[in-house]
This record gives sequence, structure tokens and C-alpha cells, in this order.
Amino acid sequence: MKMGITCVAFIGPQNNPMYLRSMDPATDDHYLKLHYIVHCALDAVEEKVLLKRGPSDSQDVYLGLLYPTEDYRVYGYLTNTHVKIILLLDDEAPIKDEAVLRVLRRLHSLYVDTTSNPFHKFGLPITSPRFDAQLEQIVALYPRPGASLGGFTT
Amino acid sequence: MSVLQPSPTPAAGVKKPARRCAEICLELLCVESVRLFHEKQSGPAAAAALEAVGFRVGQQLAERYTRDKTRLGDTLEVIKFVCKEFWQALFKKQVDNLKTNHRGVYVLQDNGFRWLQRLSVPAAGSDPAREEAARQIALSYLHLPCGVVRGALCHLGVSCTVEADPKHLPSCTFTVRILA
Repeated sequence: MKMGITCVAFIGPQNNPMYLRSMDPATDDHYLKLHYIVHCALDAVEEKVLLKRGPSDSQDVYLGLLYPTEDYRVYGYLTNTHVKIILLLDDEAPIKDEAVLRVLRRLHSLYVDTTSNPFHKFGLPITSPRFDAQLEQIVALYPRPGASLGGFTT
Repeated sequence: MSVLQPSPTPAAGVKKPARRCAEICLELLCVESVRLFHEKQSGPAAAAALEAVGFRVGQQLAERYTRDKTRLGDTLEVIKFVCKEFWQALFKKQVDNLKTNHRGVYVLQDNGFRWLQRLSVPAAGSDPAREEAARQIALSYLHLPCGVVRGALCHLGVSCTVEADPKHLPSCTFTVRILA
């Protein structure tokens, strides 16, 4: 069964990986592949940032669809502190930008709350179990393909 | 008669009301931290330690205060953000004057720096030795805010040094020098 969000990654300002998590048990063995896709996504992020240097464009945190690979679609988000949040989606249905944006915003909030911890070390990998748990909750909010959008649970 | 129930936990997605803290707590904490660090270590080491504490806090505050903001562009926009929103959130007012030499030096002037407002100031025109002594005391309290500003700027991508100069208390200038 196809999941919605397959992978979540947080990359730091020096392109250092801080967190990479596969949400789909089927891809657990393919960590190298996920790392590779996320790494390529960083180049796409830089491209988008350079493109948006025009005087008229407002600089947005949400970068939208970065690029589609054969299996996944890669979405990006760039914070003011140069932290990149990359989402890999394994969804064939047309994707609603607002849903992805909502998830990314919540992930950003989670990241901000995590960095406010006095024991957090900037730039190093995030190892907090609480972070893991709350990330799972946020990812669960993204509507899975085939599920009904809206307030009802079927 | 119904038993007192604890307030129901808010449903997911509903924000809890923000918790607040009296400002005097922050003021006392700053005063005490300066005293503590100067007691444990000698002058420059204490200053460096306070600056390091401030640096970390600045990084964390930068994350939090830029969370809902559109992306900041170049150095000047970051400095303006620090002068306006960051200063407002931290010191309850905006920076009063921003000057630059367009070559990497920015001077932020705050006429009424909040973290120095409790410092007793010798009357204008009094003995210059007393004024100098007051200036030295003020300097020791400025390491922490300098660190906060530097932490925020560095975390937003502007590598720099920040120096404070308590010219005419309670007015204070902060000089930001961009590192190449």
C-alpha cells in the first residue's frame, strides 16, 4: 500500500544532515538511496533560491515541488536560519500544496521547539525520542492516498 | 455537587494560551548571572563566558522569532529584522537609529536600553571619574545582550562581531562588524 509521506529530512545550514527518517517500513533498507535523493534535493534547493533573487519575487519559505524522481516527489522548505526540511512523497494522486505546506509548517514548529531545549546542540543530529514521536504524529496528519479528505473517519 | 475537574486538555490543533513570566525575573537573572560569572572567573574570561551564554540564547531566539517570517534576503534585511522585530520582542522597543558605512559596519543606537534601565546613573555634568565608573559597570552588563545579538545574527547567516558602547546612559550603541 502506498504511504503518503515516505521520508522526512532536516538539513542544517552547512548542508549537514541533522535528521533523516524513513516513515515507510518498506524503504528501511534503502537508506543510502534516501540519503542520495535528499542530497540531490539540496542542489535543487540552491537552484530555486538563486532563481528567486529577482526584485519582484517575494522570498517564500515554502519551495514547493523540487523535482520528481521515478518513485518519489521531493518537496522542500527553507527556513530563515538556513535549515532545509525535505519531504519525500510516494503518492501518485495529484498533490495539494496546502496539505504539504501544513505538514512542513508543523515540522518547522517542532524543530523550533526542539532547538529551544537547553541541551540541544546546534548542527548535530537530533536524537530526541520526543522529536521522533511528535514527528510521527505530524506525518500522520497528511492525508493518505485513498483516504477521505475532511472531518470523517471512515 | 460536581468535583472540581482539571481543565480539559485542548484538542489537537488548538493552541494552549502562552505562559508568561514577570519581567523582573529576567532582570534579576541577568544581574545575578553577571555577578556569578565575575565571581567565578576574572574579567575577560567572565566576559567571554557571558557572551557565549548570550550567543546560544541568540541562536535559539533567532529560530523562534523568524519562524513565521518570509525569508530574509541580504545582510541589510537581516540587520533590519534584528533592529525591528527582534529588538521589539526582546527589549520591548525598536532600535532608535541605524547607521552604516556601507562597508560592513552597522551602528545600532538604542536610547533607553531596557536591560540597563535599573542601573543608577550619575547626574549629567558630575565628576567624570564617577561617570567612567558607571560606564565600566554598564559594560559588564552588556556582554550578555551583545552575545544574544551576535548569536541571532550569526544564526541568520551574518557572521559578525558585536561591541557595545554605553555612551550616555541609558542610551547605548551596538557596533556590528561583518566578518569577511
